[in-house]
Parts: sequence; C-alpha cells; structure tokens
Amino acid sequence: MSAPPPRNDVLQGTLSLLVLKTLAASRRLHGYAITSHIQRVSEDLLRVEEGSLYPALHRMEQLGLLRSEWGVTDKNREARFYSLTAKGRRQLAREEESWNRLTEGVGRVLRYA
Amino acid sequence: MSWLTRLSNTVRSGRVEREIRRELEFHVAERADELRDAGLSPEEAERRARGRLGNPLLQAERTRDVDIALWADGLARNLRHAARSLGRAPGFALTVAATLALGIGANTAVFSALDAVLLRPLPFPDADRLVRLSQKEQASAETMIAPVRLEEWNRLNSTFRAVSGYGVEDVSETSGDLPERVRRAFVTPRMLEVWGVAPALGRGFSEEEHRFGGPAAALVSERYWRRRLGSAPDVLSRRLRIGDASVPIVGVMPASFRFPDRDVDVWFPSAVDAPYAQSRRSTWYTGVGRLRPGVTLEEARADLSAVQARLARQFPDPDRKIGVDLRPLKQDLVGGMGRTLWLLFGAVSVLLLIACTNIAALLVARGMARRPEIAVRRSLGASRAAIAGLVLAETLLLALAGGALGLLVAGVATAAFRALGTGLPRVDEVVVNGRILLYCSVSTLGVALVSGLAPAVRALREDAGLATGESGRTQVSGGQRLQWALVGGQVALSVTLLTGAGLLVRSVHALARVEPGFEKTGVLTFRMSGSWSESADYPALVARVGRTIDTLRALPGVEGAATTGWSLPGTPTEWESSFALVEASGDADRRIIADLRVVSPEYFATMGIPLLQGERCEQRSVGTRGAPAGQGYDLMVNRAFAARHLSDHASAVGLHLRAYAEGALEDASRPGRIMGVVGDAREQGIDRLPVPTVYTCLSAPTPTPFFVVRTSGDPLALVGAVRARMKELEPQRSVYDVGALDERIDGAYGQRRLLTLLLVVFSLSALSLAAVGLYGTLSYTVGQRQREVGLRMALGARRADIVRQFLGQGLRVVGLACAGGVGLALALRRVLAGLLYGVSATDAATLLGVVAMVAVVAAVASLVPAVRAARLDPMRVLRES
Repeated sequence: MSAPPPRNDVLQGTLSLLVLKTLAASRRLHGYAITSHIQRVSEDLLRVEEGSLYPALHRMEQLGLLRSEWGVTDKNREARFYSLTAKGRRQLAREEESWNRLTEGVGRVLRYA
Repeated sequence: MSWLTRLSNTVRSGRVEREIRRELEFHVAERADELRDAGLSPEEAERRARGRLGNPLLQAERTRDVDIALWADGLARNLRHAARSLGRAPGFALTVAATLALGIGANTAVFSALDAVLLRPLPFPDADRLVRLSQKEQASAETMIAPVRLEEWNRLNSTFRAVSGYGVEDVSETSGDLPERVRRAFVTPRMLEVWGVAPALGRGFSEEEHRFGGPAAALVSERYWRRRLGSAPDVLSRRLRIGDASVPIVGVMPASFRFPDRDVDVWFPSAVDAPYAQSRRSTWYTGVGRLRPGVTLEEARADLSAVQARLARQFPDPDRKIGVDLRPLKQDLVGGMGRTLWLLFGAVSVLLLIACTNIAALLVARGMARRPEIAVRRSLGASRAAIAGLVLAETLLLALAGGALGLLVAGVATAAFRALGTGLPRVDEVVVNGRILLYCSVSTLGVALVSGLAPAVRALREDAGLATGESGRTQVSGGQRLQWALVGGQVALSVTLLTGAGLLVRSVHALARVEPGFEKTGVLTFRMSGSWSESADYPALVARVGRTIDTLRALPGVEGAATTGWSLPGTPTEWESSFALVEASGDADRRIIADLRVVSPEYFATMGIPLLQGERCEQRSVGTRGAPAGQGYDLMVNRAFAARHLSDHASAVGLHLRAYAEGALEDASRPGRIMGVVGDAREQGIDRLPVPTVYTCLSAPTPTPFFVVRTSGDPLALVGAVRARMKELEPQRSVYDVGALDERIDGAYGQRRLLTLLLVVFSLSALSLAAVGLYGTLSYTVGQRQREVGLRMALGARRADIVRQFLGQGLRVVGLACAGGVGLALALRRVLAGLLYGVSATDAATLLGVVAMVAVVAAVASLVPAVRAARLDPMRVLRES
C-alpha cells in the first residue's frame, strides 16, 4: 500500500454518507445507479470503488438505514433497489453535520496553520 | 437487523448467496453495457466490468459475511476447520482434551455429590418442613424423648402438622432357613403423616395397632419385599417371625422411602400407652415433626419451648431440666459432610481453573506459532472476527471433547463414590442425572469461554502487526506478560492446594501415631441381634450376654472378651453425663461432668487399659428393669477423673458416685461404688485427648452391645469360628457389624481420609499442570528470543549466563507465585480448622515443605528449556533469522 492511489477513491467512511445522500435525492436506486450517480454529480471527481459498494450497502441495510427490494429496470433486467428508511434519514443528517464540521476544521487549519 | 433474520439468513444461506450473485451479475451487466457503448468489444467490456468489481467470489463472500452473522453459519464452518487444524496437531489436542476431561470430570463428580447431599431436598414431599426434634438436658448428651412427652408435644403445639418419633434396633427374622438380621424401626403414631408418604401397597398402621395390647402389624421396605419375599404378590397375607412373635405384614413402603436410615427394612408400631412407657425419664424416641405450611423454624421453636415450659410447671421433676432443640432434618442428616463437600468442590474448581489457564496459555502460544498461517488468512480476506471465531471454535471443540470424556469420568467417579462411601449420608442418591448433565454442559461452555477468551483476544490484537509482515519478532512482550501471569496464577493456586493437602496428610500421620491408651490391634468386634422387648426381663438379658462372653472366651485363639455399651472405643462418640460425689464435703450438690461408658468387667483387661489402683469392678445383680438390685453398680474411673475431681480424697477407691441425669440406666439413683482407677484412654475418638470418664460395670445396657474379642492372631481369621459358635449358642440370633477394631476406627475417620486422599490427588494434578504450563511458556519464550540469545552468545555471553537468564525468569515468577499462594493459604486457614490434628493451620514446616517442593518442580520444569536455549548454535540462529 505504498504507491499513491491511482484515482480519487472515495474515502472509507464517506461512502455511507454519499450513499445516504444519493438515496435521499432519489426515491429508490439500484447499486449500479448509485455509483453512476455519485460519479456524475461529482463530475468524475469521486469514484466509488465498486468492490466495497455492495458490502457497504448490505451493512447499511443490516443497520436499518436502508431497505431493499427486487425490481425490474427499464432494460428489463432484474435488480435490487435500495431506498432510505427513516432511520437512514436521521443518520444522513448526523453524518452531514459531522462532515461539515470536519471540512470546516480542516479548511481552517489549512488556511491559518 | 434482528438476530432472527440473521438466523434465518444462515438457514437459507444458499438463497442469500444466490441473491448476492444475482445482484452482482446485474452490476457487471450494466457496467459492461456502458463500456460497450464506449466502443469496447463485448468480451473486453465484460472482462473489464468484472475486473472493476474485483474477484466476484470474494466479493460475494465479503458481502455475505456482512449479511450473515459469523457466529452461526461460521460456527459449523469454523468447527470443521478447527477439527482439521487440530487433527494436524494430535498431541496437542489429546493433551488438552485429556486435561479437560479430568478437570471437568472431577468437578462434575464432586458437584454431583454436593448436589445430591446438600442441594437437593430430602426425598419426601415438602421436605423442607421436616424438622428434627430433640430434648436438651442440662449436662447430658441425651436427646431422645420419652413417649409421654412426645405425645404431649404433639397434642399441645400449634405449629406442627404432626410430631412423631422412632427408635431403631437390630433383630432377627426367623421365618427363613437361617435367621437374618433385620433393622427394625418402631414408630409412634402419625409416622406417615409426618413423612408425607403413603405405602406403595397395603396401608399404614391403624390406631388400634398403636395401642398397647392391640393387634400386631408390620410395614416392610420395598427392598425387603423384593429380596426376601421375592416380590410376592400376596405379601399382604404373609407374616414376619421376629423372636417368638409372628407379625402380619400390612403394607409395603415405596422404594424411595429409606428412613430412619437406609438399612431399615421393617417398621413396627410402638404403643405409647403401654404401662411401661409412662415414665417421663425414659429416653426412647428420636423425634421428627412436620411444620404447618408457612410456619418458620423460629416460630416452631418458640411454640414448642412454650409447650415444654408448661410441662415443666406441671411435672417439675424431671421436665424442669429439659428443653427442646429443633433443627432442619436435612441439616441433621447431612451433618459435617457439608463442609467436606464444599471444601472438595472448592479444590476441584481450583483445579479446573488451573486446567483452563493452562490451556489458555497453550493456546496463546499456539496462536503465536500460527501467526504466519493467520497472516495468510487475513491477507486472503478473512475478517478479524473470523480469526477470533476460529480460535474460539478450536477451544470449543476441545472443551466439548473434554466435557464428553469428563462425563464418563464423572459417571465412573460417582459409581466409585457410591461403592466406597457407604457410611456417608445420602450417598446412594449420588448419580449422574439431568441436573448433572446440565451442570457438566454449562461448565464445559464456561471452560471453552475462559480458556478461549485470552487467545481469541490475542488473535484480534495480533492482527495489526501482521498485515505489515513483520511477524512480531519485536513485540512478543504483551502475549508473554499474559502467559506469565497465567502461569504464576497456576503456581500460586497449586501452592495453596498443596498446603491444604499437606496439612491434612500430616494430620492423618499424627493420628496414626497416636497412643490411644488402649490396644486397638488384634480385637474383633461384632454385635448380635436383640430386641428392646428383652429388657422387660433384665436379669435374663444380662445372663444371655454373660453367657455369650463366656462362650467367646472359651474359643481357641481368644485371649479375652467383653462388651461395651453404645459405641466402640476410639470412634467419635461422647456420652456426657453428670454425677454427684456422695462423700463430697460442703456443697453436696456439686455436679461432676464426665463421659459415661457402660462396659462389662472384663473390658479393661480385654482392651489393654491398665488398672492403676484398687481392683476390677464386678457385675452386680440386676433388678427386673435394669436398676441395680441391692447395692448400686460397681464403677471404675479413669486417672483424669480421679485427678480432676477426687484429688481431695486420699484414695478414689471406695468413694460413691450418684448419677445426676438419667441415661440408659433407668432409675440409677442408687449410688455406685468406685472400685478402681484405670488408665486414660481415648474413648471419645482417637483424635481427642482422654476426658474424665466413669465406667459403669454392666454388660448389657442395651440388648445389642458391642462385643470386643481380643485374639492372639489376626482377628478376622476368627470370624468363621465365632459365627459358627454363636449359631450353636443362639440359633435365633444373627451376628452383624463384624470387623477388626482398628479398621472400624479407621473407618470412623474415613471421610477425613477420603478428603485427604482426594485433596492430595487434586493438588498434585494442579502442580503437574502448573509445571507443564511453566515449561511450555518458558520454551516458547526461548523460541521467541532465539535471535537475541544467538546475538548475545556471539558477543561472548557464556552458556551459564544464558541458563541463568531463563532459569531466573522462570523462578522469579515462581517465587512471586509461591508468596501469593502461601498468602492465600494463610488467608484461608480457617477452612481447615477442626479437620486438622496435631498440626496448626499455619504450620511452618508444611508451608516450607510445599514451597520447597514447588521450587524443585519449577526448577526442573524451567531448567529444560533454559538449557536448550544455552545449547543453541549462535551462528545458525543468526543465519536463519
């Protein structure tokens, strides 16, 4: 793990924040749509490591932040759709808050230190 | 996510896995579509899409790990895996399983005894309401109750549902070819009401049958019905022949009913209204009562004391001097057994704890040795939880194997306990049953947790260093500290156990060296069946016993024969009575308290108790009811009595003593004359110093006195001849309770010896476990520090320095542990008080001996790895690392 990361991977821990935010904006999405959404909205700045997305989704579902159901896409493929629970919404608020505080703090340090 | 869902996920893990695959397939398909749209070939698009997702199998696995709790699905996998990995180290697995089998087995066996004897209620309905009633007489050991008083207690109290009493005697049943000794209990009315038990067949006694001159009737035990009557269905029309009487059987008690003791086979109604039962001084019955629901023991005690106070006003003589004593029946039956069992249970639990810590230390060491394997697992994606689960699974598997084997050990041990502990209360109830099974399972799981936790936590912590690949050469100290702490704990606990065992061993030795004041070897003892009904014609009873003594003395090989009334010398019994000296000057009412033994005149010569002064007493003629006819009985006193109470007089011989409280000698108020003084003997038990003792010379204070026969050779060789001769002499009676006196005395201390033996076994096992732990830990340390050792030797350290270094490390821990163990032993010294003889609980010699022994064992266990370290070839070690 000595080489610099080849691309701007999403930081561990921010993934769940991004997922929550994405799902808060749309009613329900499948995993692939979540990655595409994050990539598109961040204008390719952020890229979800696909290998860690699904474990994260399942963990969040176990924590009761998400619920999932099987459905059919426009292309007539079967996919698992995720949506936010009430608990997930509260979690989003908390994580947004702490993220903002973190960036603000880091920003100040960068400015004045 | 509820546990329920997790569990169902586990059960349906196939389905979950398929769903995850479908979800990932969908993702790959979407990504491939996009890549194809960007102009890649379909194959290339597919390949890249998969590549970006990572290894799909691993991906599915990781996703599933989240989905499914490791504890359940993983358990089966982990157990399979653990079995394979243990299979590769069979020596390790066997050692651990065998250690645990012994630990769990011994623990379960002792617990089953504890459970049967102490924890489980007596086998009667609402047994916690059963109470032992005794009468308490000042300065007298007498606890038996007169029939009239028992009836009054029953009538006048308001806290008992019923009060009843019983007595036990050994009689001969003569309806078969040979007379057979039968233990018979005679019971007062309301026996079945008190016990709350109904006969399995037939009925209990009627009111008529409890009346004087009423019809005869007997209840028999289930065992008697089965063995002696062949389970005959017409048992209720059979009769027993006891003495001259033929008695119809009216019922059979259920198999679980074994009371007053397990040898009682026949119950007879006792007539409390018989004219001869009206004396308030007679002491016939052992009392037992059943409390009314909701009544506490204190309330009952207060109630019955009030009843007795009323009786004292009504019949000042003798009731003024009599009080009541109430105790839970269970406590009364179990007696001193409770402490012994708790002690054993404590010891055996400490042993199990040592075994657990030992195994924990072994597993920690094994965990470190397996670091490379664990590192590989981690890098292949096994989570920390999975690694810890693996370690726990191994421990669980070992514990399960140990527990299963332990159950076998416990089964064998309880069977041995039942066979060996025949004299112990409730011992036949000691079995491996559902409760014991449950206990064994729980302790097995506990063992798995206790011994697996430390290694599992270690495995979790290890992790950080592993990923970086520097497989912990530099950071062994944490695990080492834990291991050394475990080893130190083992040694300390072993020292404590060994101290207890050592003290008990020294007591047993001291007891064996005791000079009891009589010759205990070469004496055959036995009893002969008889009935209290014989006491109606006391002179005939005394003549019969005298005839038996004369016949015994005439046997070849017999040097002397005598009787002693209620107990054998040297066995723990006391018969405290009070006397008044007739010739006392001044305060004539001064009371002398002494042990009272009732023996035949030949007793002193037979037992080798020397006559110091005066002459031997003689058997005086006896009145019809046991009272002396004419003058009082002859008495003898021991030296202690003469020195303590008669020193004012020129000679003890010729003085007269009057019995104060009436014991078995009904109306013995006629003073007896002291004929001589004999040497002090440890009559009350060989562990007690002789107390002032008065001997009354009467050969038959009971119909079944103990016969003591001095023989020139092995006393047991004479048993056949004695039995044959007795059969000629008394064809209607049976000989029982046969044994050599020294063995009977040993037997009386059997419980203590068994305790000693078991503690020795437990503490030596503990020490060997601790030694193994010490050896293993030090070996492991040496292994870890090879490089350092090599380096130091390359820099000129001598081999002796290396040995000293490691030996010192081991012995430092042992030294601390010894101090801790001795401290613990001193803190717990009260535990053994009362079980020790001739040695104090803080005996320095024992403590030093134990510490020396532990030090030697520890030195040997540490020397081997230390020397191995010194033999290392420095060049090779350095090259290899």
